[in-house]
Amino acid sequence: MKRARLIAWLSRYSTIVILAVPILLVAAFTELIAGTLLIRLVTAMFVSMIIVLGMQVFMGNSGILAWAHVGFMGIGAYVAALCSMTPHIKEIAIPQVYPFLLNLQLPFWLSLLVGSAIAALVAAVISYPLMRLSDAAAAITSFALLIIIHAVLVHWDRVTNGPRTLFGIEEYTTLWISVSGAILMLILAYFFKESSLGLRLRASREDYHAASAMGINITQVRYLSFVVSAAIAGFGGGLFAHYITSFTPDAFYLIETFNVLAMLVVGGPLGISGAVIGTILVTVAREGVRAVENTINLNHLLPFEVIGLTEVFLATVLILSLILRPQGIMGSRELRWKPKQSSGEANELDAQPASE
Amino acid sequence: MLQVENLQVRYGAITALRDISLKVEEGELVALIGVNGAGKTTTISAIAGIVKAVNGSINFRGHSLIGKSPEVILRMGIAVVPERRHIFPSLTVEENLRLGAFSRHNRSEYRSDLDETFTLFPILKERFRQIGGTLSGGEQQQLAIARSLMAHPQLLMLDEPSLGLAPTLVDQIFTLIITLRSRGTTILLVEQNVERTLEIADRLYLLNTGRVEMEGSPEQLKSHAAIKDVYLGEGKAGGNQL
Repeated sequence: MKRARLIAWLSRYSTIVILAVPILLVAAFTELIAGTLLIRLVTAMFVSMIIVLGMQVFMGNSGILAWAHVGFMGIGAYVAALCSMTPHIKEIAIPQVYPFLLNLQLPFWLSLLVGSAIAALVAAVISYPLMRLSDAAAAITSFALLIIIHAVLVHWDRVTNGPRTLFGIEEYTTLWISVSGAILMLILAYFFKESSLGLRLRASREDYHAASAMGINITQVRYLSFVVSAAIAGFGGGLFAHYITSFTPDAFYLIETFNVLAMLVVGGPLGISGAVIGTILVTVAREGVRAVENTINLNHLLPFEVIGLTEVFLATVLILSLILRPQGIMGSRELRWKPKQSSGEANELDAQPASE
Repeated sequence: MLQVENLQVRYGAITALRDISLKVEEGELVALIGVNGAGKTTTISAIAGIVKAVNGSINFRGHSLIGKSPEVILRMGIAVVPERRHIFPSLTVEENLRLGAFSRHNRSEYRSDLDETFTLFPILKERFRQIGGTLSGGEQQQLAIARSLMAHPQLLMLDEPSLGLAPTLVDQIFTLIITLRSRGTTILLVEQNVERTLEIADRLYLLNTGRVEMEGSPEQLKSHAAIKDVYLGEGKAGGNQL
């Protein structure tokens, strides 16, 4: 009986281990043998993974197309940057900055949390009415939300330095920090999916009417999940700011949106495994295409310069994936270790209610 | 227990229910029969709070259900198993059942409820970890009913539970309804399978174009000419049915 419980427990959390171990291996491998450029790329990949996981929490479990998350990533990035920059640099980087922001300076980890919290707060204040919508109306309003957040970032000179580059942010996000962040968010996203809230959200995705007949308040469930996923996106944004060290509001707009959307859709939005696998595959493929593009241009292999190959590639991958595998590579499955049952089903069943 | 009076429901310009009055007593098995479009599903949807009544009253144990949301009505003790099953296809059987118990929040009760579910529906024990959508039609119907029972309803409303099932599975479902009834569950059943329904119901309401056309015991309805013609067929209405 004890052994059966242990096996049930291991099987239950196997998804996290199966995903986290290769992530750690990739990071260790990169650290040991790779050059600076590759380390930067892998760091960026794990930052993207956090954003993709944040999107998965809402989009994957609710089935509602989420466009606004890169906007929340932007909010997290600006807030975290403003918190961690020294007053001296802030004065130069944002000449018109509000006085109360000028003297604010927090440690890096606290800046990340504040960025995440403000992104969640913005989501909490504005998103309730949006959660009553489904399907096309929900997708269009969340797209509009992305545009609105972008417009605010571009025009709020006294906070974001407007459309101009915000520079002078310390490079705190190392490879290991981004890897730890990704694994932390992986665990969070997994537990969210398995939690009561996540289960209710998935039920509303499957069948709206049956879910409300179960006594689920769908608007409220969606709302809480949206706030959680905005918090994760904001956290990833903070890491991004301290990785890239200078950016404009355009970093959190359509290009990045399609980038993370492609990762989630290719991998499969319904599960955590899909989000992780999609991020890795799309990053590898995109960088491969970028290398090809650079080689062509540097060696003048064609009579003209090739521009935008990666964008064309991403769009093609997204379209092909939607045609051939609309549920993504993983579909609704998770990578999971299933123990073999030699003595029939009974054992597993006995263990199940205990682990509930 | 449940009292519906002069219920009227509209879908836009179309009046689905003109004037429905019915009552269900504690422990009874009451059936709603009638042709397609008669208003059977609309009636139970109105009771469950899924569609809104324009006029009339619905009282459950002395409390009005008019204007209450489906969640509240469920918590008051009325569960509905919708037509065409409506299980959550990509969730596991376990998750489906857990959602049914959601309105009650009690872990120890959940475990004992599961054991009870497994004695009523042995197949669900075998399928416990499977994805709901991979179950057969009859198994899905059992899961849908089991899921509703997890909420411990005082009144269970079943909307065409035998729809689209093979004859042997229809037998299983009707046997199950009899079992539930003998355990004291009050049931409001909507069925197209009038022959079988006449065998098990305590009382029936015949609905037609949004009105109650006739009400009575199975014997009273069997003798009614319209029932013989429309539902049983002239030849089958003989005494060999009893």
